[in-house]
Amino acid sequence: MANVTTNIESERMTFWERIYLPEIARGLGLTLRQMFRPKFTRQYPEERWEPEGSYRGRPVLVQEEDGERCVACGLCSRVCPALAIEVRAAETDKEKERYPELFEINMLRCIYCGFCEEVCPEEAIVMSKDYELVFGSQDEGILGKEKLLIPVSQLQDRLEFLRQWR
Amino acid sequence: MDWIDFAIIVAKGGILVNAMLIAAAYMVLAERKIAAWIQNRIGPNRVGPWGLFQSFADVFKLYLKEDVVPAAADYRFHALAPVISIAVAITVYAVIPWSDAVEIGGRMISLTMAPDMNVALLVILAMTSVGVYGVALAGWSSNNKYSLMGGLRSSAQMISYELSMGLSIIGVVMIAGSLNLVDIIRGQSAGAWNVFYQPIAFIIFLVTALAETNRAPFDLPEAEPELVGGYHTEYSGMKFGLLYLAEYANMLASSAIMATLFLGGWDIIPFLDDATILGLEPGSLPLVLLQHGAFVGKSLLLVFVFIWIRWSLPRFRYDQLMNLGWKILLPLSLANIAVTGTVMLLLNR
Amino acid sequence: MPKIIIDGQSIVAKQGQTIIEAALDHGITIPHFCWHPALSVAGNCRMCLVQVGNQKKDSEGALQFMADGQPDVAWIPKMQIACATPVADGMVVDTAGKRTVDAQEAIMEFLLVNHPLDCPICDEAGQCKLQEYAFRHSRGKSRFDDEKVHKPKRVQLGPQIMFDGERCISCSRCIRFADEVAHQPVLTFVQRGDKVTIETFPGTTFDSPYSMNVIDICPVGALTSIDFRFRARVWEMSFTDSVCPGCARGCNIKIGVMNNEVLRVEPRTNMHVNTYWMCDYGRLTTPAAINDNRTDGPMIRRDGQLQSASWEEATAHAAAILKAARPQDVVVLGSAHASNEDNYALAQLASKVIKTANVDFIKHIDATFGDSQLRVPETAPNAIGAHAVGVAPGNGGYNLGQLAERIASGSVKVLVVLEDTLDSSSQRLAELAAGVDAMIVFSSKASVTAMQASVLFPAASFAESHGTFTNTMHRVQHFKPAVVTQENVRYMGMAMSRWDKFGAPNDRWTDGTRRNSRAAWRVIRDLAAALGTTWSWKSAEDVFADISQHVAAFQSMTYASLDANYGLVLGKGGQPDPVGTVYESHVLKPN
Repeated sequence: MANVTTNIESERMTFWERIYLPEIARGLGLTLRQMFRPKFTRQYPEERWEPEGSYRGRPVLVQEEDGERCVACGLCSRVCPALAIEVRAAETDKEKERYPELFEINMLRCIYCGFCEEVCPEEAIVMSKDYELVFGSQDEGILGKEKLLIPVSQLQDRLEFLRQWR
Repeated sequence: MDWIDFAIIVAKGGILVNAMLIAAAYMVLAERKIAAWIQNRIGPNRVGPWGLFQSFADVFKLYLKEDVVPAAADYRFHALAPVISIAVAITVYAVIPWSDAVEIGGRMISLTMAPDMNVALLVILAMTSVGVYGVALAGWSSNNKYSLMGGLRSSAQMISYELSMGLSIIGVVMIAGSLNLVDIIRGQSAGAWNVFYQPIAFIIFLVTALAETNRAPFDLPEAEPELVGGYHTEYSGMKFGLLYLAEYANMLASSAIMATLFLGGWDIIPFLDDATILGLEPGSLPLVLLQHGAFVGKSLLLVFVFIWIRWSLPRFRYDQLMNLGWKILLPLSLANIAVTGTVMLLLNR
Repeated sequence: MPKIIIDGQSIVAKQGQTIIEAALDHGITIPHFCWHPALSVAGNCRMCLVQVGNQKKDSEGALQFMADGQPDVAWIPKMQIACATPVADGMVVDTAGKRTVDAQEAIMEFLLVNHPLDCPICDEAGQCKLQEYAFRHSRGKSRFDDEKVHKPKRVQLGPQIMFDGERCISCSRCIRFADEVAHQPVLTFVQRGDKVTIETFPGTTFDSPYSMNVIDICPVGALTSIDFRFRARVWEMSFTDSVCPGCARGCNIKIGVMNNEVLRVEPRTNMHVNTYWMCDYGRLTTPAAINDNRTDGPMIRRDGQLQSASWEEATAHAAAILKAARPQDVVVLGSAHASNEDNYALAQLASKVIKTANVDFIKHIDATFGDSQLRVPETAPNAIGAHAVGVAPGNGGYNLGQLAERIASGSVKVLVVLEDTLDSSSQRLAELAAGVDAMIVFSSKASVTAMQASVLFPAASFAESHGTFTNTMHRVQHFKPAVVTQENVRYMGMAMSRWDKFGAPNDRWTDGTRRNSRAAWRVIRDLAAALGTTWSWKSAEDVFADISQHVAAFQSMTYASLDANYGLVLGKGGQPDPVGTVYESHVLKPN
């Protein structure tokens, strides 16, 4: 056993380290200093955070002047890893002959991955900046078209971001 | 004892209990504020100016909450445990020397319920020992494995650290030659505070006080990551409130005892006589009030230290806790007694 | 027998075959759009271009090889289309070489020049040949940056067919189908070059009883079903192999189900029965037959009203009725609409438990329904099977023809009816049946007869249980459950879409109707048990095993052998017909 070298904690430490007290004092000193540093807290309901275009908040549908962009292809629904999206299509007289008769996103299932936005061939579903999601019941968490459709003018930041980075 | 004495004692009791409750409420707020500051946050600031009424909102909430008793719990002991905890905490307050006595209308009046009790220190030690019943009973009667483990840890921890705590005081008692807290304070007010004679005992007492009050870094009985909430997992509503209150009451009591034993009690300035420096008559009302303020100030400073330590140091592991108690603090306190005794013998006091 | 080499694999082809046919017989699929085995060769899509050559021979006729042992081939300078080039001895075909791949990529780029790429809107997306080939055989990029040609969209070619000219790649499969299979040559190309499109001749419409097959064979989404349009994406449905119940032909079908609702039916290739087609009648009526007008939950008549009851109550009630009646007063009617299993169970109940000889079933013949192609006059799917498993009058029993008179004379007290309506036999019989003491009805449909019942058992339809039908050519064919009932969940091995697999009960898209029904054989088994006879059947397969053991015509048939051989003919369970090459125009993607 003579050639065995040991390297255990208690041997590595000096006497002062081993009695801990100076180290504890250093730790207490650190926390004491922290008390006088500037605070990071945001006074939330009064001061709101405005996210950047890259932020992935609640997914929404883009609404143009003549209705939604969505053609109910169902790719978002297919790609959604959490199966949060349900789309039911119907026929219209417009040039794009298909539109979503029903479009529901279950926000209790949504994981904000943004795959729906990525797969969308029409750039019709995008991630908004909306991060304030509160529901009173499970049913309220399922958002229909009336809650999902957002005018295109309010989504410029995100559309710009997508154009630039994708 | 005539009825005036009796009325005075009742009044003192009322003042002490209410002061303790309010102090505990604000200590909770202080705890949250200090924690926030250490973590670069603001802390509660919505209820009242600077969040000053937050604690009352919390207590109000606790009152309104449903009192849930687990179906398998022993409901009698489940209800008894918080009562024991808070009763023990209050009892200790009776012997703490809050202020010097002042003569009013021919009566010597002080804020202490039992001034000049010659076994005050023993009462304190006895009561802190009884305190473990509350926690152990709470853990056992809940019929929950986490609660039970919390209760068991608390018992083991309190018994281990009580020993060192008791031994650390002996040095102070030897210097003062009395178990009477007022005598101990008077012994310090003329000369140096005991902390200068007994620094080791002070540190031992501080550490054991942390352990006895189940405060971090010795909060194993309620270690959230392991035991959910420890012995109070199954408590809700005001029963939980009482256990919570008892913890803070104990903290303040420990701080006050430390101030008494080591920091000169109500002595304002160390090494010198307060009365001559301030030019006030000894035993006069202004001086006594100033001294009372000094005592409260010292206690609150120690409370701050308690809180400060909690938000700075990580929790001990159980084996580390036991090692510290039995292998370090106990020999150290015994050595302290021996050294104190030897020195006193040599100085022939 | 010409010997050819395709991609290094030696193949013995049949005389007169084309390269694409010979390759398909040996499991090599050469990409193609316009070729279809049941249609004439048009050769206009050019997708099947392959490199063809002959192995060199020396002056003595010995085959020449290169240094590495590969045959030394004299390649034909230009690419040949595999669908129109007959095989010849010594032919060498390369379907995967660089030249072939280049040609395929060029053809794909060319076909996509004017294709609108509106896959998000198109119903074909997900099972589209063009999509699939764009993925497998295309460069994925287009060098065409001009305006695409615009053509008529949303043109109705017939009552069931919508045409989109821009998506069309002019393969002419539909034109040839209308001409050669449907025998209604009303479709044609008009214009030429990139303006070419398809129209019906003026004053005509494509309304053949087989018209909707063009939707299936259209390799793109140019022809879509008006009935189905936009109801679901392909990958949202589960497709279950089944048999069409529309007539006794028993065309093989796939049932497309979403959220426990049948949305569409499409033909499945079975060279013994329906080849690649099915009629519009079967395609359009089958979903409704499963979805609509169904019985739901057992019912007992109390105080003249049908009221809901539990299965146990209904079974006990039916058992009490049968116990109280003398066997000769009981008449048992099987059904040409029910499976072999259900009919066998009923026949066993009649002969072994009730011990009545009065057993028969109603035949459904409609001479106007039949035609020279797939449709046959026998409009119920399983008349042959019902008879074969023993639904026939026994010794001293009377048949359907005598039933009305017997009821009129009052000698019928209890009528047991399986999955059929009495008014479909005769109105008089239905009226007389109202006077019978008690009627026990097993029915999946809420029909007039079902509403007359004293005890009504809601039977699972053919789409909710395993079973077999025996078609007019005596071929026994297996069908599988596509829809689930209340007491059943989608189980392993059942066709499931992603939605079925991962949906939770609180999702709105899983709340489709589930009916409280049970397969008739199961109810009959429980009824027999209530009457004191225990049968050990646990599944339809157990019943079928019993049939193949006890009924000679079904000998050595199992569900597995039925599936493997595309059905087996009665009495020839051990001698399956050769399956041959089964061609499916569109291969569905896994969910």
